[in-house]
Amino acid sequence: MQNNELQNSQKAKVKNRPKNLNLFTIRLPINALVSILHRATGCALFLVLPIILLLLQLSLSTSEHFETVVSILHSPLIKLFMLGLAWAFFHHFFAGVRHLAMDVHWMTSLMKARCTSKIVMVLGVLATLVLAVKLW
Amino acid sequence: MVIELLTKRYPGMRAWLMQRLTALIMAFYSVMLLGRILVLQPATYEEFLGFFQPAWFRIASWLFWICLSIHAWLGIRDVFKDYVPNMYVRSLLLKILVLLLWVYMAWASWLFLM
Repeated sequence: MQNNELQNSQKAKVKNRPKNLNLFTIRLPINALVSILHRATGCALFLVLPIILLLLQLSLSTSEHFETVVSILHSPLIKLFMLGLAWAFFHHFFAGVRHLAMDVHWMTSLMKARCTSKIVMVLGVLATLVLAVKLW
Repeated sequence: MVIELLTKRYPGMRAWLMQRLTALIMAFYSVMLLGRILVLQPATYEEFLGFFQPAWFRIASWLFWICLSIHAWLGIRDVFKDYVPNMYVRSLLLKILVLLLWVYMAWASWLFLM
């Protein structure tokens, strides 16, 4: 009898657990943001691998194809896409260096980790901005 | 002790180490590539061919692609492990991933070494 009651109360507990699947109500700490962006940019970079190989092959094949690739890369929309890609690379690069540093026990306390997270975010955007200035 | 952790009994440790090792090699290659582009600034077709000509650069690029394949395999595999709970779907996706990476590897080898 007592056992039964216990089970019932446990069932009620399970039912009453709050569900929060609305991603917009979850505020990510800066460390989590850098981490999920590291993963997302990694996936994005994986997805563009065939495009990179194709562009490389075309630009190496003949001078006409080379000119075609250059003109494609000069169109504004593609430039914007390339800039996004460059940011993905830089963010993945700097966040990766941060991971390697933490693997050898540098900057592992919470405050230091937060600080390096901010540095990674700023460096990623900064490197992209420098490239943007170079491209235009 | 460390060597013990890298034997077949601990495949996770090997994956972890490979991910870091390939990352390190790719980081050095990336800095080298960016520096080379900034110094040589190839603008014409001939200059671009010259940029791509040296054997050491081709071999470095090829080694980079090997690291990239391993790194991408480990990374995307982790993503599948996290977000694809269905075992059949996951193993299918992993097979597609491996196939794609081998195709890219063959393509890159042809570009870099031929």
